[in-house]
Amino acid sequence: MMSSMSEIVKNLKTLVKKLEIVEIDEREVKIEIPCEKTLNVLSFLKGNGYSHLSILTAVDWIEENKFEIVYVLFSWENGGKFVVSTKIDRKKAKFVSVMHLWPIARFYERELHEFFGIQFEGNDDMRPLFLENWDSLPPLRKDFDPLEYSKEKFPDREYIKDVIYEAKVIRGDLNG
Amino acid sequence: MGEVKLFFGPNHPGMHGNFSVHMYVEGDTVVRARPLPGFLHRGFEKLMERRLWYQNLALIPRICVPEPDINEVCYAMAIEKIAKIEVPERAQWIRMIVLELARIASHLMSFPGIGGSLGLYTGPFWGTADRDRVLDIFESLTGARVYHMYIVPGGVRKDLTPSIQKSIKETLDYIESRLPDYENLIFKNRIVHTRLKKIALLDRETALELGITGVGLRATGVPYDIRKVDPYLFYDKVEFEVPTATDGDAFSRVYLKFLEISQSIKIIRQALEKMPEGKVNVRISDGNALRYRVPKGQAYVHVESTRGEYGYYMVSDGGEKPYRVAVRGASYPQTFIGIEKYLPGTRIEDVPIWLSTMDVCAPEVDR
Repeated sequence: MMSSMSEIVKNLKTLVKKLEIVEIDEREVKIEIPCEKTLNVLSFLKGNGYSHLSILTAVDWIEENKFEIVYVLFSWENGGKFVVSTKIDRKKAKFVSVMHLWPIARFYERELHEFFGIQFEGNDDMRPLFLENWDSLPPLRKDFDPLEYSKEKFPDREYIKDVIYEAKVIRGDLNG
Repeated sequence: MGEVKLFFGPNHPGMHGNFSVHMYVEGDTVVRARPLPGFLHRGFEKLMERRLWYQNLALIPRICVPEPDINEVCYAMAIEKIAKIEVPERAQWIRMIVLELARIASHLMSFPGIGGSLGLYTGPFWGTADRDRVLDIFESLTGARVYHMYIVPGGVRKDLTPSIQKSIKETLDYIESRLPDYENLIFKNRIVHTRLKKIALLDRETALELGITGVGLRATGVPYDIRKVDPYLFYDKVEFEVPTATDGDAFSRVYLKFLEISQSIKIIRQALEKMPEGKVNVRISDGNALRYRVPKGQAYVHVESTRGEYGYYMVSDGGEKPYRVAVRGASYPQTFIGIEKYLPGTRIEDVPIWLSTMDVCAPEVDR
């Protein structure tokens, strides 16, 4: 971990008591925090140079019955990355929006709502973004099976075997 | 005059790719604009979760059509980061050469391509013809022209032979000799100046706030390039400059792309010189490569693509397939927030200029 990053981690430890730190790389640190502290931690990091939201995404941990929401914050000054992750209940998939911190989060959250079914409080724009007339489970959930879905949605048609016979009927060869 | 709704979609010749915008116009001025993606949504993230680690190699280059190699290098680097694999030095240099050649190829399509939006058709013709020479190198190196599937976890598939090195050097010399022609054709052209100067303006604070990266950000005067800020491969061992501009308009964005080509040429020449002899890949597992397992873990890897920060967030649960792969399309912010916030107030004919100088790239936004 870079020295400037370890300093921030030290400050974060005073802010949040339950903090789990996984060091992935010299310039990449993952911090796992309880969900009620997320906004505090994110705005703290944003104020300390990690102001670029690289990606906002989610991971479906179906066996634990949790959704993990992941924010990757990047600093243009020293090239460090903080991967902030928090876990929410899969049944009550609801979380706070961060669109007041990063405007682009509005679209990431809209995407997560569409693909995982996670609601974001404070973000009213939850219209579908990529999919059209979607009528099944949110597709990136682990319990959604695309193969089954497509078999149901687009059932197999019967295969016409005797193509030559068909052609002969059309040409009228059978009679002549 | 009343408000009219215009559908500016993929069937329109001025549209930049398979994307659509709903525009509400009054006369010639756009009042409101709404991005409408989804034409190219192919569900890559779900597909990747259902395929083996090695099978995905054939799938990932398809995410971004104009510059597929960044996907391969992100995927390979993320696996190497999670599994802590040491890649041979020669392979890293070859990767850099491939990435920079891809950058040249992509720029040669995009900066003369601005002529397509302006009616200056000589530019795209020249650019496409010169890009073809880079694709010839790819064909001899990897066997494929567009989707190479060349950079694999653990290194690269094949060695860069001396004859290919020679043809790379010749092609670079040729492209370098062509650059003054491009400058005369495009950047000294009056049409281009009138149509691009002070159009589609973006200031630095907004660009940083919205998370816009790449030339869109560098045209506002900050030298933020991931190759410099967070160096991957051996970008910290070569000398190159990050061209910047201060105008923040469409012209400077296009011009920066042009300037980046000569920097890429510089990087490739240094890489060819500094490249040591040796192995180009390591076995990443014993036994069948298809049944390779990546240990538990996660990583976020990003690279500087021609359009900005391109990244993969990858999670492995120790199984035979990736548990989750999330792709950060480089043009995500400029596509969504950019269109909603910046198109209102512009004239209809300036809309394609925003879309093409900001590099709205539908395949990586939709995925």
